[in-house]
Amino acid sequence: MLQATGLTKSYGDIEALKGLDMTVEGGDIYCLLGANGAGKTTTISLFLNFIEPDGGTAAVCGLDVTREPLETKKLLAYIPEQVMLYGNLTALENLRYFAQLGGHDYSQEEYRDFLRRVGLQEEAVDRRVKTYSKGMRQKVGVAIALAKQARALLLDEPTAGLDPKASNEFSELLLKLKSDGAAILMATHDLFRAKETGTRIGIMKEGRLVDELSTGEVSHADVEKIYLQHMHAGGHYAQEGAGSA
Amino acid sequence: MIASIARKEFSEIVRDGRFRWTAGIMALLLLTALAAGYQKYNAYMATQSLAQDQTNAQWLNQGDKNPHSGAHYGNYAFKPAGPLAFFDNGINNYAGTALFMEAHKQNFAVGRPAGDQSSIGRFGDLSGATILQLLMPLLIIFLGFTAFSGERESGTLRQVMSMGVSNRQLLWGKALGIGFAVLLVVGLCAIVGGVALSLTDLSAENESLGARAALMTASYLLYGAIFLFLTLAVSAWAKTARTALMVLVGFWAFAGFLAPKAAVEISKAAHPTPAFGKWMADMRSHQMRGIDGVPPFVRFEQEAAEIFAQYGAESIAELPVYVGALRLQKFEEYDFPVFEEHYGRLRDSYTNQRRLQDRIGIVAPTLPLRSLSMALSGTDLIRHFDFADAAEAYRRDMVLKVNDYLATAAASFNTAGGVFVAEEAVFAMVPPFEFEPRGLRATLSEHAGNFVALLLWLGFALLLALWAVRRLSVEED
Repeated sequence: MLQATGLTKSYGDIEALKGLDMTVEGGDIYCLLGANGAGKTTTISLFLNFIEPDGGTAAVCGLDVTREPLETKKLLAYIPEQVMLYGNLTALENLRYFAQLGGHDYSQEEYRDFLRRVGLQEEAVDRRVKTYSKGMRQKVGVAIALAKQARALLLDEPTAGLDPKASNEFSELLLKLKSDGAAILMATHDLFRAKETGTRIGIMKEGRLVDELSTGEVSHADVEKIYLQHMHAGGHYAQEGAGSA
Repeated sequence: MIASIARKEFSEIVRDGRFRWTAGIMALLLLTALAAGYQKYNAYMATQSLAQDQTNAQWLNQGDKNPHSGAHYGNYAFKPAGPLAFFDNGINNYAGTALFMEAHKQNFAVGRPAGDQSSIGRFGDLSGATILQLLMPLLIIFLGFTAFSGERESGTLRQVMSMGVSNRQLLWGKALGIGFAVLLVVGLCAIVGGVALSLTDLSAENESLGARAALMTASYLLYGAIFLFLTLAVSAWAKTARTALMVLVGFWAFAGFLAPKAAVEISKAAHPTPAFGKWMADMRSHQMRGIDGVPPFVRFEQEAAEIFAQYGAESIAELPVYVGALRLQKFEEYDFPVFEEHYGRLRDSYTNQRRLQDRIGIVAPTLPLRSLSMALSGTDLIRHFDFADAAEAYRRDMVLKVNDYLATAAASFNTAGGVFVAEEAVFAMVPPFEFEPRGLRATLSEHAGNFVALLLWLGFALLLALWAVRRLSVEED
């Protein structure tokens, strides 16, 4: 579903990715852990073809994203840390616009249904989203992903800053998508939720994938221990990174 | 897809409070300008036609007198405004509106409204054309500068670009959406103006008003489209909305103010207008010494025998016509080439200036539009020259008619002497002045270059926009 092969990317002198190999299959929730600057967002941007890789390939359902940029994007859904919407449009209008951009169109009732399924309050659907909380905006983001009927999801710290209840609701939605067979790649700092929701965990450090775990085989304490071990290995810089994680 | 992008863009714009303000101000200014322009136009036309009627009546009621004195008494030609002068007053404020036609002299048009205004009036007229030429681009810039740059800054562009929509579709959709919003303001005003106009009777027979209005609309739409695509191009290219706005407003000021001023100065430097006093003195002395160096009095003496022969006469006494009238008419005709040379020199300098300005127009779309707008309104320099030509042709005909009459009616005065006095009624042989402007086709042939300039600008703006969206980046840095 999502496959990176020897992906490299540099920004000037800084090597953001140093040969990333990873695969996320349908039905997987793959959680990418790592300090800020470890290359998580770069990986997601490469899958979206927002940036050009210096080497290697990123493929979605077997299609190279640099060769088929529009086709691969149609298979993907992307939920950033802050879902940005058009403040002067209502949730329904935002959803309809993004769905149409993705090449889909639904009836008014179907759009409402998507928003109901992600748990947006009925009364908020026809309100302009500039009044929305972050949690509400993230829900609209998920509704956009649902409406897109994406085969793979790219999530960039989607629960950062959400209160525990909203964060939990978000995880429930991910589990539903997973059971529908979507491949989900999620960058996160939330070790607890990675263990609870994810099926696999990848730990990134300085542009490399340094470890991969299956969540079924480790406890929550193990995850934290292994993560911190990786962060402490190496110099002062890594420790700072771990502190902020 | 493009339709949904356009619809979203349009909804976003019209729901923004800023749109209501800018659109409201724009609509108010435009409607005011149209109403004021129309009122001014009507007053002008009423005055001109009243004055023309009066001068015609004065001519017919000038009393019994010598017919040639009647030609000295003269007649005025009043320039009717073009059919769309209420929209674009063109050069009418600065070129004369009334021309005195008399024996022996070709005159300039006088009566320049700008001369009657206080210095504050010199900032220019608030005409519908000025508003559309200067404020419509500004409206487009304000509505469109954030089209891409704003979405990049707010982060929505990342999500949009993750949906699998092509950059070109985004461009077309946004162009449509913003275009509709602009048309909503400008188009509504144009319709209101058009309907109001059709309710009144515009005195513009034989001026193909419909074709003029259609071409005018097409020109302004082209002009709007140029600014629309330039705005989208800069918005996609600029890193931030701030930069986009600065670049666009800079270009707007260049196109709307700097370039027209520069074009005028450059054209004046390249084709200087003769200094008036010297020009006039040159012409007068040229009249005195004759077109080819033979003064009129000498020339008439030289040609007298030949002229007499035409009438089968050998001396004045044998002439069947009044010799004084023959001399007057000959003197009149000796001056024609002198007038043509000197007025031609003056006119050539203006025409060359205008043509050079049109060529310079390629640097800013406002220039060719301005030229086209004036031409289609019938308020440009070409129309003014046509009027001056018509007045001169009328003057020559008037003088010829009275001199001819004098020649036949006063034949006996060759020997008797004295002054012939004609009855007032004979002055009716000179018909009232009427101005038949040249057709639309002739106007257009002079302005094909300006249409081409606008089309080239549109092509350039489109290419620029396509190039800018091709390299559109979702990242700010």
